[in-house]
Amino acid sequence: MPDQLAISATGLIKKFGDRNVVDGVDLAVPKGMIYGVLGPNGAGKTTTLRMLLGIIEPDGGSRTLLGHDRPREASDQVGYLPEERGLYPAMKARDAIAFMGALRGLDLKTGRKRAVALMEANGLGHAVDSKIRKLSKGMAQLVQLLGSVVHEPELLVLDEPFSGLDPVNQERLEALIVAQRDRGATILFSTHVMAHAERLCDRLAIISGGKRRFEGTVAEARGMLPMRAHYVPHHDGAGVRDLLPADAEHIGDGWRFTIADTGAEDVIRKLIDAGFGISGLSIERPGLHDAFVRIVGKAALEAGQ
Amino acid sequence: MSNPPIGNFRRMVRQTLTIARRDFVATVFTPTFLIFLFTPVIMLSFGAIGGFGASSMAGGTGEKMSIVAIVAPAQQAAMRATDARLRKLFSPNDQPPPLVMEVPGDNPAGQANIAFSAQGSDASAALYGDLTEPTILYGGHGRGDAAYLAELAEGTLRTTGGSMAPLSKATLTSLVHAKPSSSGRRESAYFTVFGIFFLTLLLAGQAVGTMAEERNNKVVEVLAAAVPLEAVFFGKLIGMFGSAILFIAFWGTLVSQVHAILPASFASALGDIGPAVGEPAFVLLFFAYFTMSYLLLGGVFLGVGAQATTPRELQMLSLPITVLQMAIFGASTVAAARPDSWIAKAAEIFPFSSPYAMAAHAANSPTLWPHAAALAWQLLWVAIVIMIGARAFRRGVLQSGSGKINWKGLFGRK
Repeated sequence: MPDQLAISATGLIKKFGDRNVVDGVDLAVPKGMIYGVLGPNGAGKTTTLRMLLGIIEPDGGSRTLLGHDRPREASDQVGYLPEERGLYPAMKARDAIAFMGALRGLDLKTGRKRAVALMEANGLGHAVDSKIRKLSKGMAQLVQLLGSVVHEPELLVLDEPFSGLDPVNQERLEALIVAQRDRGATILFSTHVMAHAERLCDRLAIISGGKRRFEGTVAEARGMLPMRAHYVPHHDGAGVRDLLPADAEHIGDGWRFTIADTGAEDVIRKLIDAGFGISGLSIERPGLHDAFVRIVGKAALEAGQ
Repeated sequence: MSNPPIGNFRRMVRQTLTIARRDFVATVFTPTFLIFLFTPVIMLSFGAIGGFGASSMAGGTGEKMSIVAIVAPAQQAAMRATDARLRKLFSPNDQPPPLVMEVPGDNPAGQANIAFSAQGSDASAALYGDLTEPTILYGGHGRGDAAYLAELAEGTLRTTGGSMAPLSKATLTSLVHAKPSSSGRRESAYFTVFGIFFLTLLLAGQAVGTMAEERNNKVVEVLAAAVPLEAVFFGKLIGMFGSAILFIAFWGTLVSQVHAILPASFASALGDIGPAVGEPAFVLLFFAYFTMSYLLLGGVFLGVGAQATTPRELQMLSLPITVLQMAIFGASTVAAARPDSWIAKAAEIFPFSSPYAMAAHAANSPTLWPHAAALAWQLLWVAIVIMIGARAFRRGVLQSGSGKINWKGLFGRK
């Protein structure tokens, strides 16, 4: 199993002053997957990623990166897009990408060639020779992302990659991440935007308050919450409320309620028998957003926040 | 999919050179580098300081200079009387060096040459041979003193032989290619210390702001994730050193051509200045010590500058280093002037003054082996300075999570 893991971390701890910013986080990221690290602001996501990459040393616990106990030894097989984007403003876009590849062992000549190909493939062909300072924020961010994949890493770590991008570039970035996964790379990314995680992640972990609160697939996360029904009667009488479950809420013309483990059939049958009829009925699966709010909210309650 | 795995050391060297190359290109291929290249116009002001130091040096060594007359004992009293008489014509500040009389041996010409090169003896001019046709040798600064010796010969003949005495016809010979005198070696030592100090002050100071660039651009996170911080620091130093070499090559080429346009007498005076180890070895040692000085001071500047978050902090942090550098320069000039003093020995051992003091040592003493030991010692300290700088950066900046300096944790346990 360890051979199948791109990243393995056990009991990672990081203190800033007296505060445990990361407090015993375990992670197991299988190779070839897109893995999301989700959490609210200040949850410890970035610190966890920085420890995994060896930028900072943990105060406790252990981690391996592509089988190396010292992350630095795997440096050439890793690509990284930090949360705080940074490029040399006076560099040309092509040179910036090649430079980032060179830091990871790719020779500059090959780096420049690949940079041009990558930029053209991602709609930045016109900006190959533009200086970074001339690019828009979104374009510069995309250039930096291309710099993190130019050496074709086995592991790509992206910290909040979607922040600051417009919808078009967000979609482009999603496609790029999927393409990297399809190429065989493992992608670990952090975000607090659930929509991206829901679309992209094969597995995910939710971190809150420095601790890991959930680990599994998106479906498993959503499965933590029961499904809900949205029912709209033909004519809304006073007796409808009496036939619905206790948590039923009146929303607009209809009602929303949690479906019991036994299903919604009994409730619906009773409503029909009582003559309220069905004008509309939909079954709503809870989204990752709901699961996230529930998990993080529960964690906050436990922590007394 | 990725590049084949390589050893840690090779990887680090490669990463260091990648950073160095980026910094070199970013520094040199900019219009501001041209402005920087011409900053030596400031040399005029430094030249004033240098001139003052050299004049102090000359004043300090003036007492030891002498003019030598190798004459028969029978003529010595007359020559001394003539010397006393002629000196009255000079103002106190323009007095010729003291006259030293020697009795001619088997080889008066060799005796005169020895007067220029023997330990403890420092002649500016030396006379030998018959006083009617004496030969007078003189060093770089000694043409005036040689003329004075010619006058002495003439006067001595007139004193002993009256007005019927034949006129003296002296032959004056310059010793341009002679071994440098001890004062020439000391002057050489002083100029060496001054040269390394000036170049280091001018060039290493640039390193103070280079990490600030990465911090402001947020590139540091990208670098720190890919490259050990030691490689980042060392790469930056090498990159800046490359631009320093370019600077030196440019000005060195210009300065090396200066002698071609100097008057012959001035060139002859410069000929007396020279290092004890000989010029080829001295050039190599000068370069080696400049390199060490640059890496040491640049490493300190880089490490301290990396802690700063604003230009004001940069200025405040670099001021104490500059003061320290001035103190080092002071100690090293003492080492140049008094190579056997305890201050000289201390300056040679203290890592940050060692490059200056050992360069002065090379000018003053021909022994070569201490330089191998000194260079190894200085290299060790370069590594220590870079490691401390990188560690301080990692603990003080990267670990803090806030971007501010974490002074408390800076030197704590890892």
